Amino acid sequence: MDKKRKLAGTSRERSEFLWGWLFILPTMAGLIILNLIPIFQTIYQSFFKTGDFGRGNIFVGLDNYVKVFGNKEVWQALINTLKYAIVEVPFSIAIALVLAVLLNRKMRGRSVYRTIIFLPMVAAPAAVAMVWRWLFNSDFGLINNLFHIHVKWISDPKIAVFSIAVIGVWSILGYNMVLFLSGLQEIPHDYYEAAEIDGATGVKSFFYITVPLLSPTIFFVLVTRVISSLQVFDLIYMVIDKTNPALEKTQSLVYLFYKYAFINKNMGYGATIVVLLLVLTMILTVFQMIGQKKWVFYN
Amino acid sequence: MKFKKALAMVLAGAMALSLAACGGNGSSESTDDNQAKADSGELSVSIWDSYQEPGIKEILADFTEKTGIKTKLTVVKWDEYWTMLEAGAQGGSLPDVFWMHSNESERYMSNGMLLDLTDKIAESDTIDPENYPEDIWGLYTYEDKYYAVPKDVDTIALWYNKTLFDEAGLAYPTADWTWDDVTEAAKKLTKEDGSQYGLAMRNDNNQEGYYNMVFDNGGYIISDDKTKSGWDDPKTIEAMETLEGWIQDGLMPSLETMSENSVDVLFQSGKVAMVCQGSWMLPAYKSNEYTSENCDVVELPKNATTGRRASVYNGLGWAASANGKNTENAWKLIEYLGSKEAQEKQAELGVTMSAYKGTSDAWTKSADFNLQAYLNMMDDMEIRPYSRSTVTWENEDSELLKSVYTGEKSMADACKEMAAQMNDKLEEEAQ
Repeated sequence: MDKKRKLAGTSRERSEFLWGWLFILPTMAGLIILNLIPIFQTIYQSFFKTGDFGRGNIFVGLDNYVKVFGNKEVWQALINTLKYAIVEVPFSIAIALVLAVLLNRKMRGRSVYRTIIFLPMVAAPAAVAMVWRWLFNSDFGLINNLFHIHVKWISDPKIAVFSIAVIGVWSILGYNMVLFLSGLQEIPHDYYEAAEIDGATGVKSFFYITVPLLSPTIFFVLVTRVISSLQVFDLIYMVIDKTNPALEKTQSLVYLFYKYAFINKNMGYGATIVVLLLVLTMILTVFQMIGQKKWVFYN
Repeated sequence: MKFKKALAMVLAGAMALSLAACGGNGSSESTDDNQAKADSGELSVSIWDSYQEPGIKEILADFTEKTGIKTKLTVVKWDEYWTMLEAGAQGGSLPDVFWMHSNESERYMSNGMLLDLTDKIAESDTIDPENYPEDIWGLYTYEDKYYAVPKDVDTIALWYNKTLFDEAGLAYPTADWTWDDVTEAAKKLTKEDGSQYGLAMRNDNNQEGYYNMVFDNGGYIISDDKTKSGWDDPKTIEAMETLEGWIQDGLMPSLETMSENSVDVLFQSGKVAMVCQGSWMLPAYKSNEYTSENCDVVELPKNATTGRRASVYNGLGWAASANGKNTENAWKLIEYLGSKEAQEKQAELGVTMSAYKGTSDAWTKSADFNLQAYLNMMDDMEIRPYSRSTVTWENEDSELLKSVYTGEKSMADACKEMAAQMNDKLEEEAQ
């Protein structure tokens, strides 16, 4: 009964329905043409040994997948990617959260601090990478010369991936902070006042009021950060030279994809690596969706 | 709530997938404006070497003055150049005229991406194949058809820092030197505290580095029929063990340092006393105050046993897009660039040695270095080893060589692995 009425609808409902779709049409079209269709093309390509310039593709079934799973380089890249994400995501969220809370108070020069922290976000990633490459340079770099140490930040296979993660944290802090700031401003001030009367300290109200009420924002940032940290490419490409002995222990899955698809011109193999990354990302995202029930509060 | 969650899922999924999108489409946007230029009658020209840009610009200006055809020069770094060209080829929007390299030429020629110039060359009064080295034509010929006109030819020579040699009280390198002399000198030029090293040769310095030593010693990289790797040839390994000796004796900066700073920067800042470099580096060393004052160049050393002094050489070609809109004008430009006049100008400006025979004398006078050394290296030349998938095996070779620099493997083991992977790829190529 109820269903029937909805289907028929009044003329007002119908026109709202029509206009609604019309308004999201541009976004939908962009999403379909630029994202959805290429996704399926990529998946399709992963079953082919691709010929030069996209011609003469030969169907090879699961051959590419067998090769990818048997390739030590791919597994190493997967480990590298996860290492990067494990450093970048928690640190960029925790530090940004603390900064956001500090900069949400009334204080002198607040907008100056906010601007400074947000600035890396405005700089071109390539420029950021070049500057850090010089800071990290083991022979002539500022960091080593300032502290009179000789650490091979970006060419020691053991630490290079973490050095890259530091750059990643630094460049994303501002963006996360702005998201948290907007979330913080949604929290009614009464809660803090009530807590203060009840004798809660600043730290307590941070953990019992700020964090729970901000959890939808934290969750959003977490999901998007995990996804984009798994896609890290530009920093590695710019900072780690092809001849760098640490390359093997720093290259991410996307870097490997670039290498196979665009340097070695093996599109099918590259596509397979991306499909692997896609599946990994989806699994991680599903787990986060399930996990959110335990700690995210929507009021 | 349910809906919200579903939406979040879709959004998250879409973000994850937007990456996958690159796989299919590549960076085809970057070449869109080439197409726009073609419509306005302006020829788009693409090269990868920014050091050559000023000289090439001047030559293009001459062409515009002569014919009234406008050109637009774009410089894209080597690595991105090939990505850009690949996307352009796939999307049908290649630049009108561009540089071709032996690493990639066969793929482009065999897929009909390059304009067939055979008839045009036959009809032309200015381009006579006789006037250019035969091997360079060979790089740009496929099934007896020409697809590019030779632009330049390059050889390798040894650069050294006179000041550092003076400080160490050593005589400058001469044309009579052997590779052993280099080793001896390097030992004396290396300082214990790591502030100065004898020489530098990176794991990817193949054409300008260890390939020459391999040929000197009677080894080879790839068989003439392009089916077999020469890395496991005893002669090749023996030559490569000279390099291993330099690594073990600490005569070169660590690979970490060389990769973070690059060999030519280390040389240009006086950190390294000797370095093997191709003739294409002249504009860089000429414009650098330090090198133009303190450094000079000499022929490559000989092999002490065989007495051979070979130089690996290569040459770029000017090619045009097969399905460009302005192929007539593009040919006019290529014809001009290959003409004696333009080739001579290229040499005079010190851009590079020119492919046109007899024009390189002008090049030796373009700077205050002993550039005759590069010309003398032409007496015994080997074409840069190539096959259809050069890039793939060559990159893997340098990847494997890293383990010798870091001391994980011996050179002999690494060479055998390099041979194995290269043979695999050559076999795949043949299919």
